[in-house]
Amino acid sequence: MKKQILIAVFAGILQPYFAKAFCGFYVAKADARLFNKASQVIIAKYEDRFVVTMSNDFSGEVKDFAMVVPVPEVPEEQDIRTVNRLIFDKLDAYSGPRLVEYYDHNPCNRYVMESVSAAAAPMADTRKEFRESEERLSKKEGVSIVAKYAIGEYDILILDAKQSSGLESWLIRNGYRIPEGAKEVLEPYIKSNMKFFVAKVNLENFNSSGYTLLNPIQISYSSPKFMLPIRLGMANAKDDQDLVIYMITRKGRAEVTNYRTVEIPTDKNVPEFVEQKFGKFYKDLFNRAWKREGKNVAFLEYSWDISSSNQQKCDPCAAPPPVMNELAEAGAFWLERNAQTWGGGYSGNAWFTRLHLRYNRENFPQDLFFQETPNRQSFQARYIITHPAQGDLDCTEGGMYMEQLIGRRQKELHSLASLTGWDIEKYDSYINKYRQKLDLFKEDRMQRNGFLFPDLDSFLENLSWIYLAVFLLITFWLTYPFSKNSRH
Amino acid sequence: MQTSFITERKYPFLGDLLSLNLWFRSDPRHFQIFFLSSFLLFGLMFLNWNVSFTSLILAAAGAFFVQFLGIRFKHQPEAGYKSAWISTLSICLMLRADEAWVFLLAGLLSIGSKWLIRYNGKHVFNPTNFGILICILLSGRAWVSPGQWGSETLWLLFTGLAGLLVLLRAGRLDTGICFLAVYLLGSFAVHVFWRNWPLDFWYHQLSSGTLLLFSFFMITDPRATPSDRSGRIIFASAVALLSLWLQIKMFRYDAPLWALLIMSPSTILLDKIFIHSPFKWN
Repeated sequence: MKKQILIAVFAGILQPYFAKAFCGFYVAKADARLFNKASQVIIAKYEDRFVVTMSNDFSGEVKDFAMVVPVPEVPEEQDIRTVNRLIFDKLDAYSGPRLVEYYDHNPCNRYVMESVSAAAAPMADTRKEFRESEERLSKKEGVSIVAKYAIGEYDILILDAKQSSGLESWLIRNGYRIPEGAKEVLEPYIKSNMKFFVAKVNLENFNSSGYTLLNPIQISYSSPKFMLPIRLGMANAKDDQDLVIYMITRKGRAEVTNYRTVEIPTDKNVPEFVEQKFGKFYKDLFNRAWKREGKNVAFLEYSWDISSSNQQKCDPCAAPPPVMNELAEAGAFWLERNAQTWGGGYSGNAWFTRLHLRYNRENFPQDLFFQETPNRQSFQARYIITHPAQGDLDCTEGGMYMEQLIGRRQKELHSLASLTGWDIEKYDSYINKYRQKLDLFKEDRMQRNGFLFPDLDSFLENLSWIYLAVFLLITFWLTYPFSKNSRH
Repeated sequence: MQTSFITERKYPFLGDLLSLNLWFRSDPRHFQIFFLSSFLLFGLMFLNWNVSFTSLILAAAGAFFVQFLGIRFKHQPEAGYKSAWISTLSICLMLRADEAWVFLLAGLLSIGSKWLIRYNGKHVFNPTNFGILICILLSGRAWVSPGQWGSETLWLLFTGLAGLLVLLRAGRLDTGICFLAVYLLGSFAVHVFWRNWPLDFWYHQLSSGTLLLFSFFMITDPRATPSDRSGRIIFASAVALLSLWLQIKMFRYDAPLWALLIMSPSTILLDKIFIHSPFKWN
């Protein structure tokens, strides 16, 4: 209760300030739940110490729940815990793509409309049950249990295997279903000295815990490897899976070192009606960007300094920035609770990075490796709608304003089409409304294809090939021996 | 004979094109400048790199300024400004920073190392390699993004072809091929043969633009590698093995760069064992 009050106060102090600084109001967000099969991971990194939290969105019968995760080191009992599942919603809401709105002033009379905001409402969760299953072990299989813990509602084993066939048969005998695509990576993980973290639900502990949903598991370990094993989770070659990674580091932005990290298109002016379908808008935008970039990249969706010294932890805020309790829950153990400012205050440096990947077996042959860079450039996925002036526009300035508005709306539609691939012809009325008002509306001036450039996008997509062709031509010309005595 | 006929009499425009062609082919560094510029343009246009125009100007300012001082005070007008161009472009291709002054520092450091750290009139370090890594260490505000190239087959063709052309011209194909062969064989042995990763794991490693750029445009610098072929082969293999160790055991994502920096001083020794006249640009 206290925590909620504090968040409200915090947001109450900061929000008007942001609104003023940016003239934009946050209106809608696109959360990770939009994407089917999206898993979420929090990685907190302080030098060689990692705290990794894996979301548990398991939606079948709890008795069937089983998890196998390769880990670089054997975690001790105190290094494993369960955390509140709400932490993911919190970080997701804070860092997700956002839509902000601006208001035009009526050039004829001077008053400003106040904003009414609507936020996208998420989700329904599914209930889970569970059953305990017995663990058996055979020495012959070369699988040894390095550690065995009961943490929260989970029974956890850390396995060390000698050979992949042994591990595979051990897992199958103990009721862990291994997807087809995962088998090929068991041996490489064993040979790379990875241990296997295996979790099942303990029915008794789960009942006495009073929870109705499974909690996320958090593991801490020290290792020089800044990586996330994704290969085991690839069920088959065709399936695309979405993964959202929240990174809390100390110096600056985190990025992927063995795949490209690309900033998602941001700061785009989009039509007013996007507000009603912002979720679908962002989903289509992501899909298009993913295809355009070659399906093997990680997208940066958010990057911000959340150090105690930085007063402006988002701009504008889609949700209040995380406070001390939440950051501690997410694994940022190096931050210190600040005694001076009650509740949410903390001291220490932290940087928040949100990466969003869509991966499959074909396009991601390697696990994800990361680095923490000193890059301190803020980034957010932000889209802007501008509401037109209200009231009569029957004055000279009003006419000029409407002409500008038509031009602006054409650009907005064009940018919507290039971002999402939506067919914008059906949104003709978005512009024609003002054309009619201006008495400019004539069918022949529509220039439908003139301003929509239907082929521009496919042209741009092939541009890199055109570039290569020109490059080859010039190279050919430069290197072709036109005369025998080429050197002087 | 025929060429000069075209040049002087009938087709003046075609003649200009041909003499430009001749001039261009007279120095392998022209190829290097042309290709590095195309790569930079490619990255800026298609790979969404975050390199500002200011960064490019500052890197150039640093490199050209030190080159000017070197030419002036060491009395070597024949050194010219081509190497300053190459360093500027390589810095913009490889170094990443969120503040532009870092590029100035990198430009100063790389050409500075060329003039100040010499042994028997030969560079000890590859100027760009030295500039980038020392700049990362000193400023704490810079980094290298090995993932920035992606792993497109298109890119593979692009760098490979360009690299081969430059190396053929400079006569340093041995160094590049030897490094790449040892590195890829070693990586194959460890990842595919021993650890049993599927083949595309290894292919992903091979198709990294950073690796190709390094093997074709950095380790092959004729002025900072042993003068004799045997020396170069030993040198390239040693850099490749050290890179593998740094990458597999120490988990360094930028292993080849550090391996080259660490191994560079050994060229002095290799030049003493395998005696050969030092390389001179045309």
